[in-house]
Amino acid sequence: MTDMRNQGDVTATGDGRLAIPAMLNGRQTTLVARPWHTLLETLRDQEGLYGVREGCGVGMCGACTVMLDGEPVSSCLVLAPQVAGREIRTVEGLAAPDGTLSDLQQAFIDHTAFQCSYCTSGFLITAERLAEEHPDASRDEIRHYLAGNLCRCGSYVKILDAVADLLERRRAGRTAG
Amino acid sequence: MSGVAKGLPGTWADTHRGTAQPEQPGMMDARDRVTGKVDYVINMTLPGMLHAMVLRSTAPAARIVRIDTEKARQVPGVVTVLTGRDIVSRTDVRSHFGPVFRDQPVLAVDRVRFVGEAVVAVAAVDRDAARAALDLVEVEYEELPPVFTFDEALAEDAALVHPEPPRAGATFADIIVHSQAGSNVCNTFKLRKGDIEEGFAQSDYVFEDTFTCPAVQHVPLETHCSVADARANDIVIHTTSQIPFMVRSQLAEVFNLPASRVRVVVHTLGGGFGGKCYPNTEPLTAMLSRFSGRPVKLHLSREEEFTAITRHAMRITLKTGLRADGKVIARKSTCHFNTGAYADIGPRLIKMGGIGTGGPTSIPHVWIDSAAVYTNLPPAGAYRGYGISQAAWAYETQIEMIAQRLGWDPYELRKKNLLVNGETNATGEVMDDAHWHELLDQVAAKIGWSWPQVPQRNGSKVRAKGLSCIIKGTVTPSASTSMVKMNEDGSLHVMTSSVEMGQGLQTSMAILAAERLAMSVANVIVSTPDTAFTPYDQQTSSSRSTHSMGMAVTRACGGIADQLLNLASEALEIAVDDLELSDGKVRAKGAPDKGIGYDVLVKNQKGGNLLATGEYITGGGLDPETGQGIAAVHWHQAAGAAEVEVDLETGKVNVLAYEAAVYAGRVVNPVQAELQAEGNVAFGLGHALFEEMVYDNGQLQNGNLGDYMIASFEDMPEHIGVNCLEEPVLNEIHGIGETGLPPVMPAIGNAVFHATGVRITDAPITAEKVLRGLRALEAARAAGASSAGPGTAR
Ligand code: FES
Ligand code: FES
Repeated sequence: MTDMRNQGDVTATGDGRLAIPAMLNGRQTTLVARPWHTLLETLRDQEGLYGVREGCGVGMCGACTVMLDGEPVSSCLVLAPQVAGREIRTVEGLAAPDGTLSDLQQAFIDHTAFQCSYCTSGFLITAERLAEEHPDASRDEIRHYLAGNLCRCGSYVKILDAVADLLERRRAGRTAG
Repeated sequence: MSGVAKGLPGTWADTHRGTAQPEQPGMMDARDRVTGKVDYVINMTLPGMLHAMVLRSTAPAARIVRIDTEKARQVPGVVTVLTGRDIVSRTDVRSHFGPVFRDQPVLAVDRVRFVGEAVVAVAAVDRDAARAALDLVEVEYEELPPVFTFDEALAEDAALVHPEPPRAGATFADIIVHSQAGSNVCNTFKLRKGDIEEGFAQSDYVFEDTFTCPAVQHVPLETHCSVADARANDIVIHTTSQIPFMVRSQLAEVFNLPASRVRVVVHTLGGGFGGKCYPNTEPLTAMLSRFSGRPVKLHLSREEEFTAITRHAMRITLKTGLRADGKVIARKSTCHFNTGAYADIGPRLIKMGGIGTGGPTSIPHVWIDSAAVYTNLPPAGAYRGYGISQAAWAYETQIEMIAQRLGWDPYELRKKNLLVNGETNATGEVMDDAHWHELLDQVAAKIGWSWPQVPQRNGSKVRAKGLSCIIKGTVTPSASTSMVKMNEDGSLHVMTSSVEMGQGLQTSMAILAAERLAMSVANVIVSTPDTAFTPYDQQTSSSRSTHSMGMAVTRACGGIADQLLNLASEALEIAVDDLELSDGKVRAKGAPDKGIGYDVLVKNQKGGNLLATGEYITGGGLDPETGQGIAAVHWHQAAGAAEVEVDLETGKVNVLAYEAAVYAGRVVNPVQAELQAEGNVAFGLGHALFEEMVYDNGQLQNGNLGDYMIASFEDMPEHIGVNCLEEPVLNEIHGIGETGLPPVMPAIGNAVFHATGVRITDAPITAEKVLRGLRALEAARAAGASSAGPGTAR
């Protein structure tokens, strides 16, 4: 993770908007937003990152989850200027640059861990952090960790299977390696 | 299906085939789904597009005295500020819409009828400008007396929600309009089978009980969104709709256009659950585009979504008569559905919901009165389960209450009454493919049902199990059509207007097409709806699409198969009868190396592609006086069993395990079948335990996801068993998208009763109600009162 805190100066664009430097999916960029714009709307409207979606607007559903300096946050609750100099990762940044899916994305496909998939991006981001933080999480711990992400289609069983399987695969990879 | 003896026992589908396989994908576009690439309508922008925002009524019933939009118009970036009066003043458009009654104004005209009704709309260059303008609009209301409950709305001197009777328009073949002018009764349905008084006279026991369910919301994670371009005479609208052709006909009517000039494009939906069936954001978005001369986008906030459309609150009174041997012989049901301020599809829903109260039971004497009632609450419309969740909550709770009063085993009481082949349901249809006994037996065995249920106690917690079993129709008559196109490389386009909303519709259609044409699923693409190009489909709801559109697609593919066989017959000089389709080639039977690829055949034929169409149309209808006839082309059947744990100190209910059984006939996509069944458990569990729209003077108190709970990971049972029953001889697909939902609520309620002795008849079963029930039981025990129920045994 690049530390860019000192390059994080927000500047005014002159038309009432702010230029906000940030690292976005591994690339240095400048977000442009009004002071009250959320990170969610800025990522969608300015950056075209449509994998980040609004489900509730009040931090309750997790559909808008992105990684901010390595921690999952609800982007509907973060104001755009707050991300100055920080590192953001969205679902669009999970696959390798050549398009190879991450093992987590692959696990979601293998288990069909979605129906309408509106919630999927948020689950992927939260689960990615879970896998880093708790590589040995039990099924119960996974459920608990993911409880802040809602899926109205009720794909929970398959999401749980996918994440548990991912942890298993990563553990197997570690012992083999 | 003709010529085949129906009613053979089924076999349990192996849905647990592990993970998805390339040849049997869980979802065709799975890669897009995990990379954030699904193109929901909310992602859409057009050059010059404006953003719309809506000012909504703060009064449940009021006369609009004055609207001042002057200051709002001055806000930089604002292009149009629209009121209902502006629409009425134009002669080339209509101001009202609605699928059955044209009772809903695009924007309120002179009067508001619920808190949340659209009053003024603004279209501006961005949301900031639109928001600023809304803040400057002034509306003055003169409040009128509102009606919210059934008792208020049906009172002799009740204030009328619609003082002028709403205009009925061209409507559906299966909806009979019996509205009662001068009252708040929006529509009624009646069913008369046998002689109800005779039935009660012959009964040894008669019980009467009343059940209620509150309004709940669909809560699709994607809220309603439309992007309309009505600058020219024609209208193009991209929208979140489960019924694109209904949006088309309504817009055509509102804008006085032939249907051919309205193009409705539907993308993949972020969930529907019935909430996106009938026109909602579409007329307003198109109207704003027409007035502003710019493309316009309207995307509802979660708060707006909550009052855009809801599920009917319901009150059902069941009077049920039984013989001494337990056979139910008479049922009278009185059903009220709160349809809110506008009818939406309430006039049809009361029919299915009303018929539903007959249950999966052969009852010789049935009398059903069902009514949709107007109130000053947000409109209620279609909802996953379509009235059957509410009906099943009533009859599957009552059958257990009766069993308890008579000291009988509720499983055995059901077994005495479940429909079998040759018996008739409420609408008098003779069952010829009945599987309720198998379904109930399966869940009972899987959950480990035993009688009597002795609650297992562990500290302050008690556990027990409960059962339920339901019947549900599917919309009839109905029509689905499809068109398929085989390309020069042998790949296939399937064009349908069925909507992909997470149920895996496109994948199921691809599987069926690939199967009929003996080709790889990976070479099939299934369209999303675009009414200018894809052929008619009545609706994507009612768990009908896999069956109906599946038939239409299979038939269209049959047309392609015939063409391929004929072309190959000419090319190979082999009679068609001696040829077969296999693995992307037409081959000679018995000499499989003698074959010719589809790609070669299409190229040889020189037309560029092969084209074929297919359709599937069902007929039926009910007698308007007796409700007898054909209500459904086939009957959806399901059973459920729940094991719950109740904390006696807090009243909190936890669902530990759930077994779902549905009659699928044939499972097309096992992974999707499981997902749908598991999703139904998540959905129904919320309805059973906590979902409820709470109003205070018509104002929704919990219209956000902080206060309105939906099931999260923490609420889910540790075990969900999915049991899909197939019937390999008939091999007829039965939809399962909502079939598994109605059993969930009563199964949980019955388990809570067996654990605690507390019987809740007004859903949801909140901790508070359970606790209150426990205290009442204790008090009754202390007083030594008898535990006799309210029923009247004779
Ligand atoms: S939209 Fe941010 S948490 Fe729901
Ligand atoms: S898959 Fe639809 S909300 Fe999760």
